[in-house]
Amino acid sequence: MRTLSRGIMLLLAALLLGACVDRNSGGAGSGTATGRGGSFSGVSLSIISGSENEGLEPLIQRFAADNGASISMQYKGSVDIMLELAQGSGMPYDAVWPANSLWISLGDSQRVVKHSESIMRSPVVLGVKHSVAERLGWVGSEVRVQDILDAAEAGQLRFGMTSATQSNSGASAYIGYLYAFAGQPEVLTLEQLDDPQLQDRIRRILGSVQRSSGSSGWLKDSFLERFDSLDAMVNYEALVIEANQELQRRNMETLYAVYPVDGLVIADSPLGFVSKGDSRREELFLALQEYLLSPEVQQEILAAGRRTGLLGLNPESVDRSVFNPDWGIDATRTISPIRFPAEDVLRRALDLYQVTFRKPSFTVYALDYSGSMEGEGLAEMKRAMRTLLDSELSTKYLLQPTDRDVSVVIPFDDRLLAEWVVNGNDPQALSGLLDEIEQFAGGGNTNIYAPVARGVELIRELGGSERHFPAVILLTDGQSNEGSFSVLRAALDGNGMHNVPVFSIVFGAASEEQLQEISDYTGGRVFDGKKDLVKAFRQAKGYN
Amino acid sequence: MARVRPKGPGIIVFLAVLGLVGYGVFMLYSRQQATGGGTGSQQQQRRQPAVTVSGFVGGEKTGFLANGKVQRILSQKYGIELDYRKAGSIDMVQGSVDGQDFVWPSNQVAEEIFRERHGNPLSAENIFNSPIVIYSWAEVVDALQAQGIVQQAASGQYEADLDELVALVDSGTKWEEIGLPQLYGRILILSTDPTRSNSGNMFAGLLANVYNGGEVAGMDSSASVVPQVREYFTRLGYLEGSSGDLFQHYIERGMGEKPLVVGYENQLIEFSIEHREHIARLREKVRIIYPRPTVWSGHPLIAITENGKRLSQALQDEELQRIAWEEHGFRSGIIGVSNDPKVLDVIGVPQDVSSVMQMPGPQLMQELIRTLGGS
Repeated sequence: MRTLSRGIMLLLAALLLGACVDRNSGGAGSGTATGRGGSFSGVSLSIISGSENEGLEPLIQRFAADNGASISMQYKGSVDIMLELAQGSGMPYDAVWPANSLWISLGDSQRVVKHSESIMRSPVVLGVKHSVAERLGWVGSEVRVQDILDAAEAGQLRFGMTSATQSNSGASAYIGYLYAFAGQPEVLTLEQLDDPQLQDRIRRILGSVQRSSGSSGWLKDSFLERFDSLDAMVNYEALVIEANQELQRRNMETLYAVYPVDGLVIADSPLGFVSKGDSRREELFLALQEYLLSPEVQQEILAAGRRTGLLGLNPESVDRSVFNPDWGIDATRTISPIRFPAEDVLRRALDLYQVTFRKPSFTVYALDYSGSMEGEGLAEMKRAMRTLLDSELSTKYLLQPTDRDVSVVIPFDDRLLAEWVVNGNDPQALSGLLDEIEQFAGGGNTNIYAPVARGVELIRELGGSERHFPAVILLTDGQSNEGSFSVLRAALDGNGMHNVPVFSIVFGAASEEQLQEISDYTGGRVFDGKKDLVKAFRQAKGYN
Repeated sequence: MARVRPKGPGIIVFLAVLGLVGYGVFMLYSRQQATGGGTGSQQQQRRQPAVTVSGFVGGEKTGFLANGKVQRILSQKYGIELDYRKAGSIDMVQGSVDGQDFVWPSNQVAEEIFRERHGNPLSAENIFNSPIVIYSWAEVVDALQAQGIVQQAASGQYEADLDELVALVDSGTKWEEIGLPQLYGRILILSTDPTRSNSGNMFAGLLANVYNGGEVAGMDSSASVVPQVREYFTRLGYLEGSSGDLFQHYIERGMGEKPLVVGYENQLIEFSIEHREHIARLREKVRIIYPRPTVWSGHPLIAITENGKRLSQALQDEELQRIAWEEHGFRSGIIGVSNDPKVLDVIGVPQDVSSVMQMPGPQLMQELIRTLGGS
């Protein structure tokens, strides 16, 4: 079967490429991947992959070792993979492995990806605490997207979901919601996206999301860390399995997986080759792909909670401690996904999400203008802020503000030096803010605690945590030699705002320890800006 | 299905192939069965000295040619050693055939292109046939049976009038309306991309006939038929580019993602023979629906040299034809050879496929491809 379809695929490839391939006389029948025996020594392959595949790297490295090849994996988010692909054959990787074909489709405008094949599947589900699922009557019954919206609006469901424009699981859930609210069309159209009723409902369901994130893995971790603050999270079935395994170890309540029947999306993890004309590399790629799709390796991937193999045929063969029916994760259950729309519809849907549908952000940027930042440091920080505030650049990275976003900048050294507030997404107002940032100069010592406390206080004063995702993005390059965490903590506890996440960016000689302390306490995250500050800013913003 | 179209190789090459397929279709299926006329004349081959016969073969037949029994018979009985390369059906006839004794594509389009490019071959015999069928699942077929859309024949196979099935799709009936609420949205019959893959292409032709009231559609009906076929495919969204991929996704992902898919009959037979360990499961879950009418997908062997002709005659060997059926699911393309389904473990495969009709005329198919490619 595998052999047959591989044969047909190669045949089709040959048909499309105008080349007669594979001098394979007589032996075309057998299809073992590793049978070529170390024949790839000296051949290398670099893969840019979604972070959800990190757990599968040992499988890849085993193949590389067996074949004498050198294979490197780089883990990036979906949007980054899309942007890399947009460079065409000039991109610095030989293969792509995003969570969903959607990102290849959007990024591969020069059509350089070939041999793309799904390695495994994982549906995007709503993992709900069992007691909450029970209370909502969702255990063992068909749940629709409208049910999720109703429960959230009734205050009975607090859930987290990643950003649809940064992370594939969020994008998948969002597209599923669109299908449900459009009345289950075969494929979604541009006209349906303009329907006011659909727009109203999608705004409401996105507005009810309690926690955002730029990555599915981090959402799972933060869900586990702050287990009491949410009832549910939108995530891959595979990550709900992982979360439950962890919760079981901790003797805590597990999650029940809900598969919304009218808007379910499956991540298909396609592995595709980026054609640059190197035939040995292409052979290595095909051998790797065949290895990953071989029955033995598919079985290993299945054991890791991803759907593979002849699941349509014998779902009963899976490990019920992994695909655990008590968790609602039942491989015998029919998983019936929506069919993805055309590229123009996808693009429009993502733009609409970013600029109008999503819950708006209230972002306080606390920027270090202390003496040590002078020169290269300040220049880089300004460049990073430009990617977020310049409308062209922010559009490229799908980070544009909505008209309801609030952006606040607090420059600091050991003092609070100013406060600039911009409401909405008027490009002129934002570029005015950028001008302020670029012309400003500081120069004193460093106190990272005071601007965070002030930022959070501002969010409280302006009601920024009521209808917005609030966040403080703190950039610093130094040790805080004034102020202290305990003072900050007292301030946060005093105004009840310790749930505003502080995303910190480490730069220069900054103390990661001090930043980690703040982020841990507030449910934020620390990003490393030492190598690439622009990227760190983009990432941090993607979490808000 | 979570893939998005289109993707794959360079757009220019893609367009070139589109043109090609279009061109091929342009002389397509009207002579569907015309190559079936050869009868065995094997005996005289016996005493000939051994030769190596070289050529190109469509990928779906490599399993058959790699079969040890097949190689033994060719070698011992006919003195033929094969040296073949896999190639795309269109590609193999389009490029140079210098030094080749034969080409063996997977459809009659290729034969027409061959004649156009290289002149009339020494011979062209249709060696195998496989009807277009619709693969489904027990629960889905049960529901469709309850609706009176699918019937089980006395001999066991499931059949459906294609126009009734298509009407169900066109009326926007939801799965939940026929008692399958666990399936998303509306009823669809999925095929491969008709501009890239032969089985999808043939299904598009069948649809054209259905929309033409069950008559073979021609250019005179294009104004009414082509928009309807286009509308049908617009609703499908992303489509797989190869029949092998679609069948594989059907088996792997199951009823939730692929409740009804178009394929070749031999795909399930070959799969079940290669995976005997799953046979009980297959019988329990998998269903083949034979649409009324259907069309044949043929496999013409185009002989370029005397050696190629010798291979063509050898392949008409009764024993080889039997192996092709029993182990690879190819029905004989040779008149007078019957295929007994009892030898197969698969349920619901009929002795004969009745109600086979011709594909629409070549110009209409070309028109269809052009329209579908542009969407």
